[in-house]
Amino acid sequence: MPSDIGLSTGTPSQDTDGNRLNVKRVVKDSILRMNPVKLASNPVMLVVEISFFLVSFMAIAPGTIPSVSSPSEQLFYVIVAFILGLTVWFSTLSDSIAEAEIRATATSLKSLEKEVEAKKMDDQRNIAMVSSKDLRTGDIIYMEKGDSVPIDCEVLEGIAMVDESLITGESSPVRKTVGDTLIGGSTISTDSIVARVTVNIGESYLSKLISIVESSKRPKTPNERAVSILLLGLTVIFTVIMASILSLALALGIRIDLSVLIALYVCLLPTTIGALLPSIGISGINRMSRSRIIAKSGRAIEAAGDTDTLMLDKTGTITFGNRVAVELVPLGDHTAREIGEAAFLSSWHDDTPEGRSIMSLAYKHGYIPKEFSSIDRAESTEFSAATRRSGLTLIDADDFRLPKGGKDMLQRTRMRRKYLNPESGEMLEISKGAPDAIKEAAPECPSGFDEAVVSISSVGDTAMAISVGESIVGLIRLKDTLKPGIREKIEAVKAMGIRPVMITGDQPDTARTIASEVGIEDFVSQAKPETKLEVVKKEQSLGRITAMIGDGSNDAPALAAAEVGLSMASGTMAAKEAANLVDLESNPAKIIDVVVLGKQLLMTRGAITTFSIANDIAKYFAIVPVLFVALPDLGKINILGLGPHVAVISALIFNAIIIPAMIPLATRGASFKPMKAMSIFLRNIITYGAGGVLLPFAGIELIGLTIRFFVGGV
Amino acid sequence: MITAPEIAFIAIIWLIVIVVGWLLAGFMYTIYSGRKSRLDRIFSPVERVFFRISGVDPTKDMTWKQYFISLLLLNSVQAAFAFLILSYQSFLPLNPQHFPDMSWSLALNTALSFSANCDLQHYAGENSLSYFSQMMAITFLQFTSAASGMSVAVAIFRGFSGKFQGLGNFYSDFIKSIVRVLLPISFIASIVLVSTGIPQTLNGYVLANTISGGTEILKVGPVASMTSIMQLGTNGGGYFGANSAYPFENPNPISNWIEVVLMMVIPTAFPFLFGRMVGNKKEGNVLLFTSYMLYAIDLAVAFIALSSLNRGMEARLGVFSSVFWTVTTTAFTTGSVNASLAGMNPLVVLSAFMGMLIQATPGGAGVGTMYMLMYVVMTVFIVGLMAGRTPEYLGSKITPSDVKLAMVAFISHPIIILLPTIIVFASGVASSAGIGRGPIGFSEVFYEYTSAAANNGSDFLGTAGNTVFFNVSTGIVIWLGRFIPILVMLNIAGNMNSRIRNFEEGLKTDNILFAAILLFSITILVILTFFPFLVIGPLLAYLEGIQNAL
Repeated sequence: MPSDIGLSTGTPSQDTDGNRLNVKRVVKDSILRMNPVKLASNPVMLVVEISFFLVSFMAIAPGTIPSVSSPSEQLFYVIVAFILGLTVWFSTLSDSIAEAEIRATATSLKSLEKEVEAKKMDDQRNIAMVSSKDLRTGDIIYMEKGDSVPIDCEVLEGIAMVDESLITGESSPVRKTVGDTLIGGSTISTDSIVARVTVNIGESYLSKLISIVESSKRPKTPNERAVSILLLGLTVIFTVIMASILSLALALGIRIDLSVLIALYVCLLPTTIGALLPSIGISGINRMSRSRIIAKSGRAIEAAGDTDTLMLDKTGTITFGNRVAVELVPLGDHTAREIGEAAFLSSWHDDTPEGRSIMSLAYKHGYIPKEFSSIDRAESTEFSAATRRSGLTLIDADDFRLPKGGKDMLQRTRMRRKYLNPESGEMLEISKGAPDAIKEAAPECPSGFDEAVVSISSVGDTAMAISVGESIVGLIRLKDTLKPGIREKIEAVKAMGIRPVMITGDQPDTARTIASEVGIEDFVSQAKPETKLEVVKKEQSLGRITAMIGDGSNDAPALAAAEVGLSMASGTMAAKEAANLVDLESNPAKIIDVVVLGKQLLMTRGAITTFSIANDIAKYFAIVPVLFVALPDLGKINILGLGPHVAVISALIFNAIIIPAMIPLATRGASFKPMKAMSIFLRNIITYGAGGVLLPFAGIELIGLTIRFFVGGV
Repeated sequence: MITAPEIAFIAIIWLIVIVVGWLLAGFMYTIYSGRKSRLDRIFSPVERVFFRISGVDPTKDMTWKQYFISLLLLNSVQAAFAFLILSYQSFLPLNPQHFPDMSWSLALNTALSFSANCDLQHYAGENSLSYFSQMMAITFLQFTSAASGMSVAVAIFRGFSGKFQGLGNFYSDFIKSIVRVLLPISFIASIVLVSTGIPQTLNGYVLANTISGGTEILKVGPVASMTSIMQLGTNGGGYFGANSAYPFENPNPISNWIEVVLMMVIPTAFPFLFGRMVGNKKEGNVLLFTSYMLYAIDLAVAFIALSSLNRGMEARLGVFSSVFWTVTTTAFTTGSVNASLAGMNPLVVLSAFMGMLIQATPGGAGVGTMYMLMYVVMTVFIVGLMAGRTPEYLGSKITPSDVKLAMVAFISHPIIILLPTIIVFASGVASSAGIGRGPIGFSEVFYEYTSAAANNGSDFLGTAGNTVFFNVSTGIVIWLGRFIPILVMLNIAGNMNSRIRNFEEGLKTDNILFAAILLFSITILVILTFFPFLVIGPLLAYLEGIQNAL
């Protein structure tokens, strides 16, 4: 074995010309691949090459092998040997092309993982400049405006806008705050951030992708393994048959020519699929990498094709998730102004898009509350999963004097805690939250509350209740917007026979409306963090393959359990660890593309295998009648009517050129339209099954007639 | 060529067999699924006796390995038992003709052959076996080997269906197959056959005065009881050397057609049983339809050139009966014959080859459907990927290990046929046995091993087969041909049994489209494997024959 010089993350390749293939390099590589030692992993092509050596020997020294070769046939041997050599080369060429394509993809990704200077912080917050290569898990780094993120890390302090466009293609900067993940290769566009390195170099997702695409020892997927077994089995059968024909012919005294027997052997071997099988797998990973999805194993891509149930988060996948407040609904004898002002106050500290939209709605109507002046002295209540509400508590300004100094909010809050005596002042809690949560906290519920909630959620909007003190004043109608094209995508998913299930924390009514709007029958509403895992487990117990998307730590168990778990690069480490696919672009809707790619991979393998085996019938009819030269009676089954030499050469040529002709199919995948498995099957069995039987008859005959036209009857 | 009334006649026979097979499948479903039936009162006490004597717990589920080992063990003991009887028959009772002991190699061949449901015979029963040997060795093994094949199929069906706990208990299936299916039917069939003129006696051979004034020895014995099970259990090993071409085994057209129906019934019932056991009768119908279409192709090939070369046909029963029987006996891998192959048109021989090479047209009792499932696994895998999903059969995914196992079963067939055939011609065996080197000589040897490997048992070699070489080599081929596929298919069934099923999407296998694909795939797979050998054997003989006739 050659020594392993250089790591996969070693010096960047000089070959940087992106997606154009370097023809010279591909040809050179494909010739090097013809080394029999390297072909050992591909038994079909190995035996073709051995056949090539055998016939080459016959061509060089015709007649040395007694009774099955003759010196007068030297030219014929040369031609046969040439075509056999060409067959092997076509096979290695397809490998080289696929590898070159994936290397181009890797190179373009690799340029993102350039070595950069990083600012490493020690315990005393002193900054030292180090190379990104020297960073280890747990190191603390500092980044400010203009710096590029050297490696995947997690924000510890600060808020910044980060430009991830190089990695994800998303042009607008993303806001990153404590707990968020930064992806190596992105750039800080505002402010500064302190972060902790979460991976060692060479373990980042980018490196993982690169090492997968560059690895020559890609583990085979289950179906790829099964196809290999089938091919090995067929190779064994045909080897037994040819050995039997040879020995019987010798024993029975039937004269045959070894080169013709070998030609028959090679034609019968499933050379088409044998030659293209490796490149199908490589180009599958390549296509996935190009769409910026890292497959941690080929198994996941294949399982994606088998998906029965697709779990879709409503928020982020089906809808944008940033719900916008569109209407204030006063209840009981409360006025619109009252609720508007309450909404304004309750959302003051709410920095989510939702909260901001409530503020701007109230502001637009001019509902600025008089308490606005003392708002910075109010106690804010953060949203918590337990109470499911947020808001603030106003404290009477007269009862409470804040000491001088302490401009920033944090300091004030601390001081407030110190000086505030809750008993002394009149406090007014203004909250907003899920209607049922607010109803629990505020006992004074105006009549018509429940009806109003239902009427809002029944049209798919979300109702949010506002309470002032003990009483509920009204509702806010929040509208969720569907992602463009999601309906068509769901349509395609259903057309493939996959059952989409929508998961949402929303009320059943809201969930039902959204689900029916996009055409989903099954949904789980009021989902808790553990719901996803329950759904996955339930589907699995019914034998269904489940695909899901997740980005939070809550999703990790479900991501790990699901056969196909796609996590977002922007998600937490736990989610990314648990998932078997990571999307660098953090676009959840891409799960559907993964499914399609998985199906295409399986189809392509099946189509070329079927085609390859179906081809054999015509080749039998071309060669067997001329195999036994001493048995002229067999001429009656020579339905192609080609002379012995022409028949053999035509069949061999057909056998060889079908390989490069199929390379585009192998690397791009069989054409795919979202349909039921049975309809896809029907289409393919006609194209590749029936086509596979008929095409070679026409092809061999045509090649034969062409040869005869130029050379004359041979 | 075949005439319209003959086609109509075939249609009637098929109809009878399919209706009887369908009824039998319902009956067998009750037996093998362990449901209560009114017949329990009669059969259960009989079965309990066997279980009590043997100490077997019939309710204990077996893994596929346990099932296979039990089967192999029982079959080995039975073969050894028969070997001893044949080797020492001169010391045993019921030997009125005082036949000597069989040679060791012939006894070995016979014991292996009959215990594996093959029934290749290198002896002529009426000239070498005592009544005791005919009954206790031959007829006994014909019951046990048929029951073994049926049990295996039932176990495999259980695994494929996944609806049962495990694969079942071999001893329970085995005893039930004999007590509830084979014994009652062959008892009735024997009585019917006796009424058509087949002898059933333990008295010695009869010395009769003929019309022309001379005397003749009439070779009789317990013939009817053996003929019924030989056909019913798709065994095929007859009482007489000439098998059912001998008048006392097949005296007239009525007995002829009764025997044909008998040999077709159980293999026809099994696909129906499969459909019932997997819970979708259509799945079974697809298998039956496919095997009958292959059978129809065999018949069509055999009848193409019927008029041109039919010397040596059985005149008593007619050309049509002989050809139909020959195709049927190989299509159902029974191997009984009512006319010599030697005089048949090469195309009839070609057709007979097809039946034995495919082994599922519909094949032998139980095992025929087993082979069909082997083809199904391979076909579903090859074409199923084109549906864009991991191929599934009956809701279970086909894994690399299933493909590997099915390939092993498929590859073993050509290897165990071709390897000994080559040895025969490459060594001096062929010339010393007086076998020619032309297409007929090749066909004879190729046929011998094909028949052995397919557990068919019809032969083309004649008495030349009784040499130590042929006895031992065919004996080995018979057992390999019997037990390798059984081992492999039980393994697949055992693996499939534990998998969770999902029937919602994927390739549908219960329709005419799949039947057509299966038909095509079987034809391609088998032709790809054996075409060159059929070309230099029967096909060449046919092509030369036509030339001679012109």
